[in-house]
Amino acid sequence: MVALRLFISSAVFSSVIATAYWIFSKEPTGTFLLGVMSFGLLFVAGYTIVAEREADLVGDRPEARPVDAAGELVGTYSIRSPLPVWTALAVSCVGLGIVVSPAVAALGVVAMLIAGVLFILQSR
Amino acid sequence: MSPIAEQAVAPPGRSDLLGWLTSTDHKRIGTLYVITSLGFFLVAGALAVVMRTQLARPNSTLVSPHAFNQLFTLHGTAMIFLVVAPFAVGLANFLIPLQIGAPDMAFPRLNATSYWMFLFGGLTVFLGALTSEGAADSGWTAYAPLSEIKISTGLGQDMWIVGVFLVSVATILTAINFITTTFIYRAPGMTMWRIPIFAWEMVATSLLIFMAFPSLAAALLLLFVDRHLGGHAFDPSYGGNAVLWQHLFWFFGHPEVYVLILPYFGVVSEIIPVFSRKPIFGYTGLVIAAFAIAGLSMGVWAHHMFTTGAVDDPFFSFLSFMIAVPTGVKFFNWIGTMWRGSISLATPMLFCVGFLMNFLLGGVTGVMIASPPIDFHAEDSYFIVAHMHYVLGGGSLFAIFAALFFWWPKMFGVKLDERLGKLCFWLLFVGFNVTFFPMHLLGIEGMPRRVFTYPDVGSFPLLNSLATAGSYVMLAGVVAFAWNVVVSTRKRDPVGPDPWEANSLEWWTSSPPPEHNFDDLPPIRSARPVFDAHHPEIAKGGAG
Repeated sequence: MVALRLFISSAVFSSVIATAYWIFSKEPTGTFLLGVMSFGLLFVAGYTIVAEREADLVGDRPEARPVDAAGELVGTYSIRSPLPVWTALAVSCVGLGIVVSPAVAALGVVAMLIAGVLFILQSR
Repeated sequence: MSPIAEQAVAPPGRSDLLGWLTSTDHKRIGTLYVITSLGFFLVAGALAVVMRTQLARPNSTLVSPHAFNQLFTLHGTAMIFLVVAPFAVGLANFLIPLQIGAPDMAFPRLNATSYWMFLFGGLTVFLGALTSEGAADSGWTAYAPLSEIKISTGLGQDMWIVGVFLVSVATILTAINFITTTFIYRAPGMTMWRIPIFAWEMVATSLLIFMAFPSLAAALLLLFVDRHLGGHAFDPSYGGNAVLWQHLFWFFGHPEVYVLILPYFGVVSEIIPVFSRKPIFGYTGLVIAAFAIAGLSMGVWAHHMFTTGAVDDPFFSFLSFMIAVPTGVKFFNWIGTMWRGSISLATPMLFCVGFLMNFLLGGVTGVMIASPPIDFHAEDSYFIVAHMHYVLGGGSLFAIFAALFFWWPKMFGVKLDERLGKLCFWLLFVGFNVTFFPMHLLGIEGMPRRVFTYPDVGSFPLLNSLATAGSYVMLAGVVAFAWNVVVSTRKRDPVGPDPWEANSLEWWTSSPPPEHNFDDLPPIRSARPVFDAHHPEIAKGGAG
């Protein structure tokens, strides 16, 4: 509920600011930027309305006890994975390669593809 | 099934290089962020000392004009993108899951990817210095046309674009993680109105990142297209508009100021109650003020552009003044928390008091330059340098040291030495004010910023010498901190879970915490669950 209120009030506030800015300034760049921001927040607010219907978070119950969250394990957190550093290195190679050497960029693209495949396999 | 029920299952942590390279544990990633940002801080600080040495006397020739431009570009870029913001991200990475009773961040691998992208982005910016024409030299604001290929011809500017782009994408990804974690992964009973103020401030900061950083990413892409793919977005000679860069940049740039300060509002909101032995005064007011600041900050970007003559001055001036109101609310709450408290001036609290004093001065000068007539006089002068350093140096940097002294025991299991800590504080406090207060006067007298030298007129030489002397005192303060780290680490005096008798959930678990964060959790019935558990006779429900 708090998240919903937060996103709705942010969306309303930014829409008001965007409208006021256009009325006072008639300046297109800033109005566009504020408009995109308002649209994004409205989208998130709309999504939150749908998501909140399904939500039953134990963290939202003021009288909940730690034991209320206990139960069957549904999965584990991955404590280590080489993929993050590999992915970041690949993305950096693409970026750096674009300005330094196309070969480095190509290497980066290949590395990114491999990372993508490994991410999919690891998530199964 | 709640994710809180899940337990991290993994072999005991390895302290070897491979363990750190592949870790997705939020505490390790947080620690990596903190250490990396401190590393960049040392480099950026060293660059500042070189600049101040160059400016100590008029007509000095220690560095060339071109080198000086590179120095202030790298210094500004590093401090903004690689030090103040990433330190907050690191702290939040370490603290948020602990503060809300979660086993980890919502997306651990994304979290690790963000860190490594940040690191590689930062290194890319600095690697530009090794190219034939040196690093980028168009300032951290990279104003067009200075950053266009006609003027900044070197590879360093391109590497700056790529590096800052990587950092901004990493920051957006990490913001997604913070918001999801805080909204979804709270422990039983940890309702949103019971989460610590620091976690709230990080939610507001993450929201700002979502709204502001895409504009920077778009601006950087356009600049790259202009430089290499025949675009003319910022080139007036082909129908482009250089002011467009300023719009796109400051649409990011002003909210970025609050990305750099809101987390530290959270830091002082956590520390002041602990050393005042009182609950925070006005919990709800502090939260609302944070979001009011975040919202208003999205509508004030063009107060950086008053002197272009191309923006609506009254609109931006009015909204800029308005930001002083929620900021004043926060000050009121902090003072209200200290009022009639049993204050102990341990090092973290000293840094918080220093933060309040410095940030107040930075805030007041901010209100002054929100007024266009004053801004027209002060724009691009040392007055602006003084203002922004009082906000981001005297504000954020002092809060960084407060956070280091406060949470160091939780991160590393040992307390930093108090005597050396106080020495560090006084050196930094005196050094900071001796360095930056004279810059107000220099600005009023008309000394422009970003110049490599100045004529021997008026009080320019005296005030500049004073500022340089102050920077050496600050350097001594940083050395005192480094020595403190060495001494405290060697002493290896382990601390318990709650060495400060603090309030929030991170102080329930061991120092440093185990890989799965908590062996057990106390009942959470207020915003001070650890205090409640230790003092059931005075515990009461509700926020605060």
